Amino acid sequence: MQKRHIVPVLYILFLMLPIYWLVAMSFKTTGEILSGFSLFPQTWTLDNYRTIFTDPTWYWGYINSILYVSINTVISMVVALPAAYAFSRYNFLGDKHLFFWLLTNRMAPAAVFALPFFQLYSAVGLFDTHIAVALAHCLFNIPLAVWILEGFMQSIPKELDETAYVDGYSFPRFFITIFVPTIKAGVGVAAFFCFMFSWVELLLAKTLTAVAAKPIAATMTKTASSAGYELGLLAAAGTLTIIPGAIVIYFVRNYIARGFAMGRV
Amino acid sequence: MAKITLSNLRHSYYPAPEKRDDYALKNIDLDWEDGGAYALLGPSGCGKTTLLNIISGLLTPSEGRILFDGKDVTDWTPGRRNIAQVFQFPVIYDTMTVYDNLAFPLRNRGVDPAHIDRRVQEIARLLEVENMLDRRASGLSPDNKQKLSMGRGLVRDDVNVVMFDEPLTVIDPHLKWKLRSKLKELHQRVKHTMIYVTHDQTEALTFADQVVVMDEGEIVQIGTPVDLFARPAHTFVGHFIGSPGMNVLPCELRNRGAFFQGSPVPLEGPVRADASGRAEIGIRPEFVTISDAGLDAVVVKVSDVGRHNVVQAMVGDTKLAAIIEGDVPHKGESVKLSFRQDQTRLYCDGWLATEI
Repeated sequence: MQKRHIVPVLYILFLMLPIYWLVAMSFKTTGEILSGFSLFPQTWTLDNYRTIFTDPTWYWGYINSILYVSINTVISMVVALPAAYAFSRYNFLGDKHLFFWLLTNRMAPAAVFALPFFQLYSAVGLFDTHIAVALAHCLFNIPLAVWILEGFMQSIPKELDETAYVDGYSFPRFFITIFVPTIKAGVGVAAFFCFMFSWVELLLAKTLTAVAAKPIAATMTKTASSAGYELGLLAAAGTLTIIPGAIVIYFVRNYIARGFAMGRV
Repeated sequence: MAKITLSNLRHSYYPAPEKRDDYALKNIDLDWEDGGAYALLGPSGCGKTTLLNIISGLLTPSEGRILFDGKDVTDWTPGRRNIAQVFQFPVIYDTMTVYDNLAFPLRNRGVDPAHIDRRVQEIARLLEVENMLDRRASGLSPDNKQKLSMGRGLVRDDVNVVMFDEPLTVIDPHLKWKLRSKLKELHQRVKHTMIYVTHDQTEALTFADQVVVMDEGEIVQIGTPVDLFARPAHTFVGHFIGSPGMNVLPCELRNRGAFFQGSPVPLEGPVRADASGRAEIGIRPEFVTISDAGLDAVVVKVSDVGRHNVVQAMVGDTKLAAIIEGDVPHKGESVKLSFRQDQTRLYCDGWLATEI
């Protein structure tokens, strides 16, 4: 190994260590985890994973999370695409201020909104539903999506729109069949960030749900059960939680690089 | 195909224009004859693109009407007007192949597939892109993209007018020349009305039969390239067209005769009776010669531009350019300059004021 490789290799090891530890723990029994330090699982077990895939309180956590994350991503994109188009193509009174105000929505910690959302959703009967969490996450995701998409749309010359009109397109047809495919990289990046935020957000998701829509992250916070500490089980759940994010990143990795190059994201 | 009439057209980007200067276009009255090759020439920001977008329907004029063959189309959408427009930057649909891009304007109007194929092949051959028809449009080089963009404008054979908005800006110089002659050739074959917007005089003069010169939202002169060069109607045209542009020399108007730096200058003809205001003499550098008698001048700069030399000289406090072939004076030398009388004109407040 050459000298210049040492630093990056050390850095990667440093980054991978917690993930390795998590994965290694998920194959150990809880007894082994508590008994002391071991680099590899001494007795390999798949029991942890078996429990998660068979116990409804565990696997419904994943289903709930995926449901509200998907709903949130769809709502965010459907709302943000036209909004970003308006910001990128038209000048209207206060457009710059409105655009900035959208961003400031992301500056408040989620905890600020936990109480008003909880009270509001309880009052209108949305408490403990998937749509409640999806809508709450929209507060953060729509501004972000608008901001990312606006950057991509800015880079598309207005002449594309004009050519389409001259070619006889109506606006909705142009927008759906020409414009959105043209910025599909941006749509991918924006959808990815919506997905990621909604997937990792815990506080609002936990506050707004009880049983029926309880997300996996909330399930994982119950560290102790009647059988005492179940660290192996938690490690397996953590490992499985990383996987959807990794899959999504794999699909949008090239687009994200382009998004960075364009100065947004 | 149609004759396009612009009648009393005014446009302002302000919601409530008051002053004359609020208007980007100030009262345009113009006919574009069917099948003509027109160039719209003027400096950046003079309203060329505004005018084009009004013809295509992307903008609605503040005042005035647009007629196609006498039919009022002012309120029609761009799609309904049946026109084609090519923009400064290549506009192609990245997600389609080259073939689909070219076929698109036809397909969108429900043209018979066999006819589409024939037109696309023909245009592709003319633009020399037939070997890349199956490629994705997004991977093309900028000049091929622009060719494709132009092809999309030319592919329909029933359009009322094809408009080009500075289409060669992004093209390399050697390809510019090629595409321009291609366009000219195309015009002679298909006989569409074509309007070519540019701020480059060479492009305008080589492409068009008729050049419309604009300045600050007004049409200054319409004429053949020869007209514009030989007898500019306005000092702006004289200065804008030609390299270097026409010399515009402030002068005094006394008893309907022009005096430059105190000495009388013979003009091409009598000065119009109503001529008044700021008087200037216009003479192209091509018609200024060094002779034994004439205005006293001091040479300040000589530039060799290949075929001839451009001599800059000071007459009193006014700078003057002359195109000299053969022997040239040196810098600092005193010479005498004379003007060819039939090319010496008087302008009052910018407008031509001599008659022939």
